[in-house]
Amino acid sequence: MADILDILELEQPSAEISRDSIIHGDKVKKKYVTAKAVKRPEGMHREVFALLYHDNKDLPPLLPTDTGKAYKQTKAKLGMRKVRKWVWAPFTNPARKDNAVFHHWKRASDEAKEYPFAQFNKQVAIPSYSESEYNQYLKSEDWSQAETDHLIDLCQRFDLRFIVIHDRWDRAAFRDRSVEDLKERYYGICTTLSKVKTNPWSNTVTMVNGEKRIYHYDAEHERKRKEQLRRLFDRTQDQIDEEQMLLAELKKIDARKRERERKTQDLQKLISRADSGNLPPLSQVNNNNEGTSTPSNTASSIARRHDRKLHKKKITTQQRPVRAVESVTVEWSGIKFPEARGTGVWLRSQRMKLPAGVGQRKTKALEQELRLLNIDIAPTPTEAICKHFNELRSDLALALDLKNALDSCEFELQALRHQYEALNPGKTLTIPPLISNMVGDNETKPVGEIIDVVGSPSALNSTI
Amino acid sequence: MSGPNGMLYGGDEIGALVFDPGHHSLRVGYAQEDTPKADIPAVVGTVSATHIPDAEEKVPDGNVTQTGSKTGGELRHYIDITELHVPRAGMEVHTYMKDGQVDNWDLFEKMLDYCYAKVIRSPSEHHPALFTEAVWTTRPAREKLAELLFEKYQAPAFFLVKSAVLAAFANGKSTALVVDAGASQTSAVPVIDGYALVNAAVRSPVGGDHLAAQAKHMLNNMHIQMLPLYSIQSKEVIRERERGRYTLKTLPAGLTVSWQQYMLKRQYEDFCHCVAQVSESQYEERAAASAPFSHYEFPGGYHQDFGPERFKLTECLFEPTLGAPHLAALLEASSSVGAPVLAGLSPRGPSLRLAARPPWGSVVACGGVASAPGWLERLAKELAARAPSSHRLKSHAAPNSTERRFAAWIGGSILASIGSFQQMWISSQEYDEGGKGQLERKCP
Repeated sequence: MADILDILELEQPSAEISRDSIIHGDKVKKKYVTAKAVKRPEGMHREVFALLYHDNKDLPPLLPTDTGKAYKQTKAKLGMRKVRKWVWAPFTNPARKDNAVFHHWKRASDEAKEYPFAQFNKQVAIPSYSESEYNQYLKSEDWSQAETDHLIDLCQRFDLRFIVIHDRWDRAAFRDRSVEDLKERYYGICTTLSKVKTNPWSNTVTMVNGEKRIYHYDAEHERKRKEQLRRLFDRTQDQIDEEQMLLAELKKIDARKRERERKTQDLQKLISRADSGNLPPLSQVNNNNEGTSTPSNTASSIARRHDRKLHKKKITTQQRPVRAVESVTVEWSGIKFPEARGTGVWLRSQRMKLPAGVGQRKTKALEQELRLLNIDIAPTPTEAICKHFNELRSDLALALDLKNALDSCEFELQALRHQYEALNPGKTLTIPPLISNMVGDNETKPVGEIIDVVGSPSALNSTI
Repeated sequence: MSGPNGMLYGGDEIGALVFDPGHHSLRVGYAQEDTPKADIPAVVGTVSATHIPDAEEKVPDGNVTQTGSKTGGELRHYIDITELHVPRAGMEVHTYMKDGQVDNWDLFEKMLDYCYAKVIRSPSEHHPALFTEAVWTTRPAREKLAELLFEKYQAPAFFLVKSAVLAAFANGKSTALVVDAGASQTSAVPVIDGYALVNAAVRSPVGGDHLAAQAKHMLNNMHIQMLPLYSIQSKEVIRERERGRYTLKTLPAGLTVSWQQYMLKRQYEDFCHCVAQVSESQYEERAAASAPFSHYEFPGGYHQDFGPERFKLTECLFEPTLGAPHLAALLEASSSVGAPVLAGLSPRGPSLRLAARPPWGSVVACGGVASAPGWLERLAKELAARAPSSHRLKSHAAPNSTERRFAAWIGGSILASIGSFQQMWISSQEYDEGGKGQLERKCP
């Protein structure tokens, strides 16, 4: 090929630069001269033959060798293309109005185009007005035209950075104004001009549906907001501490209130249970004790009395719901055993299982009570036994609750008595026999009496 | 500038120069570089030409960087360390700076001559020049500088930026509270969106010079003599706290007081650099005593360890009453570093503090004093202690001391090499048309 080109005196093509020629360019290709192909005898294994005869007829090495560039990195050669020249070239910046010529480095091959950074030359649109327009629309008692002009000028210079405008405000010529004043005036001008002129903005402005969106500035609100913030910032450490303290107190009060409400509810539950357990069933359902229906039984009267007390102490605003007491009152006392079962076969002993709502402690207490009564914890579940056993346990649970309440009341009463005696030495508080010393025979006492004591606020704070 | 994928990158270098004149030194170099080409002491030595009697003086050291330049055959000027630090008879040292701005324009011109001739080594008409300025620079000073650059140096373009803005840029922020602890003063300037709030800036006269004075006072009290380095011919190795054994050089007669003081000040500065450390919290004798000691050898050969003194020395930066009573009398009570910063936090009523992005979220520290070990931590602590808890303070500073010292210059270097900045320059055409009056408009 080269010979023909030589003869024809044609220019030889320079060796084409390719990746391969660069990486392996310096390696002279060795050509092994294979004298003659030795044929592999019949029956000899390929591997064995390869040991005996191979291309350059060398003996096979005894040690493993690592020739070749199997794991060596081939040296990277950069710059596969010709170097492109850089020149120190003049340029003009279309973002400048004076056509000043600066110089920078650019590629000689790059065609001249507009200075790319000129596209970042963004201007904020500031409205402009003529003198007559000012006199017609923009006159203000508070602002002179010179001051307004100064404001617009600063807005243009600092791209509506009002903090900076406020900082650079010419205080020698004009009186000091707050940032809000400046903003109010500026946006006021914008609004007015946008109403009377088609396009008051000197520059092109992004139009939304052919209309420039006007920013409505609520100066009064801003002033209030900043005043609020200023006060927040200006708090002294003492004030902050006090605030923290008050917040903590509030939290405590809230927690106490919640606790009290919870206890009141517990109590009321207890009352309604006791009511339904001890009193003849109500024929009428009372949803609201302050409702129009006249309460005709003790349960409601107790409830009323109780409520009055609560209201007086402002403990709770919540209305105490009077339970709807039905003729079948068993469900309401103590533990409610689920009646309905799923379909299918089930053991009757399942009916005697305590429902999931009953806690561990209560279960233990019930078992203890049963043991005291000499009753088997798991009796044979006949129909009758099931029913009575459940009723018994339900009543026991109620009895336990009431006993607990009584105990705490008793404790509270004693505590108060001691307190009373401590505060008034020499005097003794005689506790009416009606409410004292009634441990063990609570069944005979009217429930309302017990509950009333419980309802006193000091008792509420202690555990029931 | 623009990458192969059509992306437009931020930089476009146009061969601009950045000058950052300060009280301690003038930084000069090309934009787009990360450190200035030269950091020249901001003083000029002058010898009246008639006062050069012997031939030896005329060829000082045979040094190539001889900068003695004659003006009208009256004065010979010596600039930069190699020239300035040679003992010369009758050489007075003058600074051209005063209160953060150029005051002596003749000397400053000499300095610029030197910069172009010896540092840049390129004609001034090829390079746009970006200057930094203090926030409180007066209008006449700014206009004078523009006039000088355009009319004497024929600069193609010129721009002035507040150094606080540049320091914020160097730290990658456009909104910050810049605390510049410089040689002559410490200032706190709020910067919002790349604009310094000039009326909100505060400053105090406590700076590096004060620290050096403090060091001098302390060494005097300890009866340690700081011999001038240039006067020592040789010294012997001695044990710690032993009296130094040295021989003195024969110096030319008629060394001026100003030059001697300047040289000694450099030595005290060196002492501060090596020894001074800012304690983390307020100075406490016991805590300071347990800190590691620092060894320092004085020019006369005397050497000793400095322990608590290291911390005591810098305390004057934060509490001017502790160090020297006689100096404290000169300073106002509010001039400790913390005070101006706090004042910067609440300038001019609520407007700034309620800005959309309050600048105290990023306190940027820069300046030579800020590179003292522990300074930044102490500042942060002082601020946190004094600022109301509702202010969330965060302080930034470049990690190495060079970047802290040269923060303003580096910011200028960044700014002048940004593509979109190239429209901001005041070109010579604009200057010819509009005069220097437009400076106030173009360089906010």
